[in-house]
Amino acid sequence: MSQVHDQNSGNDWPLFEVFVRSKQGLDHKHVGSLHAADDTHAISLARDVYTRRQEGVSIWVVPAASITASAPEQKSDNFDPMANKIYRHPTFYDIPDEIGHM
Amino acid sequence: MITFASCFVRCEATVTSVPIDPLKATFWIWVEYRRQKPEPVLMQAETAHPADALRRPERNDPAFLAKIAAEQKIEPQDEMPDDYRKHLVRQISQHAHSEIVGMLPEGGWITRAPSLKRKEVLLAKVQDEGGHGLYLYAAAETLGVSRQSLLDALHSGRAKYSSIFNYATETWADIGMIGWLVDGAAIMNQVPLCRCSYGPYARAMIRICKEESFHQRQGFDIVRSLVEGTTEQKAMAQASFERWWWPTLMMFGPHDSDSVHTQASDWGIKRLSNDELRQRFVDVTVPQAAYLGLTIPDPALCWNAERGHYDFGPLDWDEFWRVVKGGGPCNEARLSARVTAFENGAWVREAAAEHARKRKFERAAKPAEKIAA
Amino acid sequence: MAATTLVFGVLPQADALRLADTCLLWAHRLSEWCGHGPAIEEDIALTNTALDAIGQARALYQAVALARGDGSSEDTLAYFRDPDEFCNLSIAAVANGDYAQTVLRSLYLSAWFISVWEGFAHTNAIELHRFAAESAKAARMCFRHASDWAVRFGDGTGESRARMERALLLLEPFVLELLDAELTGSPAQSRSGSFRQRIDACFAQATLSPLSVGSSRGSSAAERRALLTEMQSLARLHPTARW
Repeated sequence: MSQVHDQNSGNDWPLFEVFVRSKQGLDHKHVGSLHAADDTHAISLARDVYTRRQEGVSIWVVPAASITASAPEQKSDNFDPMANKIYRHPTFYDIPDEIGHM
Repeated sequence: MITFASCFVRCEATVTSVPIDPLKATFWIWVEYRRQKPEPVLMQAETAHPADALRRPERNDPAFLAKIAAEQKIEPQDEMPDDYRKHLVRQISQHAHSEIVGMLPEGGWITRAPSLKRKEVLLAKVQDEGGHGLYLYAAAETLGVSRQSLLDALHSGRAKYSSIFNYATETWADIGMIGWLVDGAAIMNQVPLCRCSYGPYARAMIRICKEESFHQRQGFDIVRSLVEGTTEQKAMAQASFERWWWPTLMMFGPHDSDSVHTQASDWGIKRLSNDELRQRFVDVTVPQAAYLGLTIPDPALCWNAERGHYDFGPLDWDEFWRVVKGGGPCNEARLSARVTAFENGAWVREAAAEHARKRKFERAAKPAEKIAA
Repeated sequence: MAATTLVFGVLPQADALRLADTCLLWAHRLSEWCGHGPAIEEDIALTNTALDAIGQARALYQAVALARGDGSSEDTLAYFRDPDEFCNLSIAAVANGDYAQTVLRSLYLSAWFISVWEGFAHTNAIELHRFAAESAKAARMCFRHASDWAVRFGDGTGESRARMERALLLLEPFVLELLDAELTGSPAQSRSGSFRQRIDACFAQATLSPLSVGSSRGSSAAERRALLTEMQSLARLHPTARW
C-alpha cells in the first residue's frame, strides 16, 4: 500500500499555514496548518478546523512552500548584533524626575 | 479526547517501534523537494531548511540539555539530537493516531444517542478529536515527516495508538465513561505536555487542552444523568464503570520500575512518571465516583493516610500487553475502519488534487470565476 | 385554536415538521461519516454541517412542542414518532452512498434550504425571522462547500466525474420534490427559481450537464425506517428515562 502512495505523492494535498485575526484591530496570528487541495479549499477547511469556537473574524492561508524562513545556522549572526544597540530603547536615556513622564 | 502516546514511550523494548527514521525522511523529502519543485510540498514552512544542514548534537549534548533545563523551547529549525527528533515523531504521531482512532468508539453512538442534546454534544466532541488529531499531525510534520508517511505507518500496523480505543463501547454509559474516565486520564497526561520542550507540540497541546475542557465534563454529565435515572440506567452505569476502570488505569502505561528508561524526562518531554500520573488520577477520581454512588471494582482500594494517597490493587499487565499487541476486543475493527476510510477517500483526494492542477493552469490564462452563493 | 397551533405564530405544524424532519435525517446521514471521511479536514467540515442541521432541527421541534403545548418535547418528536409520521423530504433519508452522492445531496438540500430560509426574510414573526436568517447563513456555507466539491468532481479525474454522473442519476428521482414542495408563506415557484439558478451555475462550472428533472418520484421510506430504527433504538428501550 505504501508503494502506491509513494507513486501517487502528487495527489497528496499540499500543506497550508493558517493565520487567524481573532478580532478587529489585532494582527493575523499563525495558528497552525492543514492540508488542502488548493487555496479556496484551504480557506474553507481553515474555517472549519481553526474557528470552531469563534476564534476568528478573518483568515489567511499561505502555501507552506511559499514561506521563506531565515536560516537557522545564521541565527546568531542575524540577531545577536542587535543586542548591543541599547540606545534603541527608551530606558537608555535619563530623564530628570522634574520632567515626569515622557 | 486524547490519550497517551506516552504510555508507549516507556514500552519501547516490547512494542514494535515505528521504523520511520525521521532524519532520513527529512533528507529524502528535501531531495524530492529540490528535484520536483513546486509539486510535492511535504514540509512545513518551519522546516524549510533541511535538518541535515544543521549540526546534530549528541543525545546527551550538554548545551542542548542545558537549554532544556533552562526551560527554553526547542523550535523546528533548532539543532536537536537525532534521538530527540525521533522520539518526538513517534510520540506526537502516536498521540495523533490515538485522536483519530479515538473518534471511532464514540462515533458509533452518534446515530443512537438517546436525546437530541446528547447527539449534538457528542458530535461536537468527536469532531474536536478529529481537530486534535490534525493539530498533532501538523506538529509532527514540523519535524520533517509527511502526514502521508505517518498515516502509512498507522495503516500498516507499524505505528501504535492508545490501547484504550481497542475496547468496545457496548452501551450508552460507555460514552459517559470515555468522557469522564478516559478523557480525564488523558487530561492528566496532557496538561504537563503543555510545558513540553518542543515548541510546536507544546502549542498544539495548549490549544487541545483549552478545547478539551468540555469533554470530561460532558462525560461526567452523562454518567450523572444515568446514576440519577431509572434502575436500568443505574445498572448500566455501574456495569460500564466496571468495564472501564482498569483499562483506564492502564492508560498510564507500565509501572515506573518496569519501564525502560528513556531520556524523555531529561529532554523535557515527559514531566511526570507513569505511576505519579496514575496515582493522581486515582486520587481525584475516587471522590467523584463516590459522589456518583458508583462502586469501584477494586477490593484493595482504600485511603492511606500515611501516604496521603489512595492505595489500589494490582493491574492485570497480561491484559495490557495482550491489547497493546493487537489482542484487544476491537483492534482489528478499529484499524480496518481507518484503512477503509482512507482507501475509499483516495479518489476524492485525487479528484481535488487534479482539479487544483487544472485550475492553476487555467488561472495562468484567465482569472477564476466564482460561483454565486 | 388554529392560532395556537401555528409554529412561531405563522408556520403550520406540518411545514415546521417537514423542515425539522428533513434537517434531522440529513444530519443523521452526515453524522454517519464522522470518523470515516476522505480526509481528516473534510471530516471536520462535514460534521459542522451536521451540527448546523441538528441545531435547526432542535429549534424547530422545540417550537412545534411549544405550539402544541401538549407535553411534547423535541425528543418525543424525534424519538417517539413512528417512521410513517415523519414528513421529511425524501432525499434526506437516502443512504449516503459514496462521497459524490453525499456531496450532491448536500448541494441539493443546501440550495433548497437557502431558498426556504431566505423566503422568510420578510416575515413579521420575529423569532422565525431571526431563526431563518441564522439558518440561511449555515445553508450558504454548506452550499459553498458542496458546490466546491461538485466542481472538483465534475472537473477532476475521470473517476470522480463518472461517480458524480452516477450520483446525478441516483438522486434524480428526488429532485422534483425539491422543486414543488409546498410551504406556507414561501411559494414553491419562487423557491424553485432560486434553486435551479444555484444548481445550474454550479453544474456549469463543474462542466456537468444542466439539472435534469424526471417526472418520477423516488421513495426512501425503507431507508427512513432503517434509519429511525437505529436512531430511536436506545430511547425507545427506556421510554421513561431521562438522559
